[in-house]
Amino acid sequence: MSADQKAFGEPIAIVGYAISPMSAFSEDTEVRLCLDVVTRALAASGLGRKEIEFTCSGSADYLSGGTFTFVANLDAVGAWPPIRESHVEMDGAWALHEAWVRLLIGEERTALVFGSGKSSTGDLSRVLALQTDPYYLAPLGADPLSLAALQARALLDSGRATERDLAAVAARARRAAVTSPHALPALAAAAADASGTGGTGGTGGTDGGDDLGDQIDALLTADYVRSPLRAHDTPPVTDGACALVLATATVARRLAEEKGITPVWITGLEHFVEPHQPGTRDLTDSVSARRAAQAAGLAGGAPVEVAELSALYSHEEIILREALGLPDGCEINPSGGPLAANPTMATGLVRVAEAARAIQERGVSRALAHATSGPCLQQNLVCLLDRQPLGKEAHTSQGSSQEGGAR
Amino acid sequence: MSSGARSGPRIVTNTVEFPYRRSLGPVIGTFVAALARGQILGVRSGERVLCPPLEYDPDTGAATSGEFVAVGPVGTVRSWTWVGEPSDRHPLDRPFAFALIQLDGAGTSLLHAVDAGGEGAMRTGLRVVPRFRAEPKGHTGDLAYFVPEGAETTDAGVVDGAALSPVAGGEPGVVLEPVETMEFWSSLTYREALSAASERYARSLLAGRLLGQRCPTCGKVYVPPRDFCAIDGIPLGEGDDLALPDRGVITNFTIVTPVKYPGQKETEPFVRVSVLLDAPDGQLSESGSALMGLQPVVDVTNEEVRVGMRVEAVWLPEAERNTDELGNRGWGSTSGALTGWRPTGEQDLSVERYIDRVF
Repeated sequence: MSADQKAFGEPIAIVGYAISPMSAFSEDTEVRLCLDVVTRALAASGLGRKEIEFTCSGSADYLSGGTFTFVANLDAVGAWPPIRESHVEMDGAWALHEAWVRLLIGEERTALVFGSGKSSTGDLSRVLALQTDPYYLAPLGADPLSLAALQARALLDSGRATERDLAAVAARARRAAVTSPHALPALAAAAADASGTGGTGGTGGTDGGDDLGDQIDALLTADYVRSPLRAHDTPPVTDGACALVLATATVARRLAEEKGITPVWITGLEHFVEPHQPGTRDLTDSVSARRAAQAAGLAGGAPVEVAELSALYSHEEIILREALGLPDGCEINPSGGPLAANPTMATGLVRVAEAARAIQERGVSRALAHATSGPCLQQNLVCLLDRQPLGKEAHTSQGSSQEGGAR
Repeated sequence: MSSGARSGPRIVTNTVEFPYRRSLGPVIGTFVAALARGQILGVRSGERVLCPPLEYDPDTGAATSGEFVAVGPVGTVRSWTWVGEPSDRHPLDRPFAFALIQLDGAGTSLLHAVDAGGEGAMRTGLRVVPRFRAEPKGHTGDLAYFVPEGAETTDAGVVDGAALSPVAGGEPGVVLEPVETMEFWSSLTYREALSAASERYARSLLAGRLLGQRCPTCGKVYVPPRDFCAIDGIPLGEGDDLALPDRGVITNFTIVTPVKYPGQKETEPFVRVSVLLDAPDGQLSESGSALMGLQPVVDVTNEEVRVGMRVEAVWLPEAERNTDELGNRGWGSTSGALTGWRPTGEQDLSVERYIDRVF
């Protein structure tokens, strides 16, 4: 697009998304998982492949062990003739951040974002240990489960949570998994058997109910896998992918009018990172999550009704809830969250898609999506989604006059 | 692995190994050097001492002082977890605790292992002392693990720090020659299902046939089948498969001069060629022909290989064909089915006919 058509700072909307079926061991290749979600997200947006002006993906070659797997994944988008494209060796939520910044700059008006991972292929405990500091941590085989357990113990020792609180998080995730279309099927089935409901409930969000209390009691009888964590406090190995389509306000409104698409507006998107060494920070708090939420504008605007958190372990939900200062009535992880399906490198982007789904399908006005990276919630991203484009004015410093009438 | 009755997909495994040699730098290098003397060093950064010592302060990003301080040897467990079934990457082969240990005199905690005997012996606040490798190797592993204070050591490979030769007094300002590098052997094993398309390709190779797949939209022919078109971004299926001629033309080549690295089996320079296959109807065509990359050659010297040379596949005898090594990656591999491609002796094809198909 030519310089005079630049739309610097136009609000950005999600106009389409797709989440793959979640699987403990996918027999399909990663490219085919990507192809499925890219095709469906584009169809949902009403845009064709050739109308996409920027593409960004998130994945990690270490997961599949294939050299340049992320380049092979581009086969899912039809990258010929050549396209503008980028990749982050991070969760797809960070690919979303890059695409969002690109659209704010105004050179491009549409973007495709996807994240994918087949963590069943390798051994996550070894792969992720190799992503820790190579001097002090990796030589110890510092696996993610052990690091998470150290954080959980620190939280319990602080007196701000109990093992029962952890189990309550897990029980609600399991309850939500029963009806979630994106939970690991085996886990959802086991949860349905355990609850005896076979498909009622599924919204979670409250601590009450004798039934839930019984389930918590049952969960607490399990052995530790890494004390104080039990298997239900830890995420299942999952293969999956997720794709989103973004558009600037001009395009999003056209799609709404012509194709009946309901845009979901990104009204804040920020990420912060903390020191890597777990022994140098307060593990019971998430300073970076709090800062990201503040920077994204969580305090301004209406209360968040739904929060989709990348809480991979039960205790992380408790730390994040506190750090983000979510309102009491806020429903957390109605999708079941990462305890129901954790497609590494797509988990955060799935949270964004699930939050958008809550707005599109359930009439929610405002939702929050969270993504994380690194051991013990080292890096955190917060994305605020709204039914209306009431974002921070800082992002609409130019072109805001044309926005006024549309609200 | 078996290629017989299908009760689910064939599983292929693949191990990727890499021997890292890491530069330690002045701070970590000094920490490692002190371990050989039975000492744990921190580094001063502002008002506090960081242990493990870091080059930059994690809170401010400022360079740390370079002033090393002996910490411990006693430390306090700030958090811990129990590893009941250690893996071969862990520092102990018996159940142990991972713990965050704040050494006396340090303001931060170090992650390490505690050989506590049993989970019941662990608690937050436990006082622990280090055990060092009796024969140091110049590696962070020279700090072997910690034990509860007062515990007896039965492991012959480790010693109390006092048994080594600490710098006198462990005083501030100790100057040690930093250890320069540390080795780390990385090994990851991957396990995945052979895709349906790769399985059809493997069966075809065993039968002595090259199998490709044609996109009905753009006409591009892929070999082996992938079950999608990378140009149009659409799924393809078995119905799009087609048998391809095992003859073609060399459109590109490279001569690889092997260098020594772990796993390298080649010793002499060898050639790898790109072969543009004849079209299914027998004619060469830029869009309707398939290209196979990185193919070996036979019956021809490296020096004789040239762009435009007509070649044909040389198949292994049927009984010797084996596609067990075939995976979902390395697209176009004919290993285990072909010995390579040999010149047919026909007249070369001029490059203008396939200039866009060198890859």
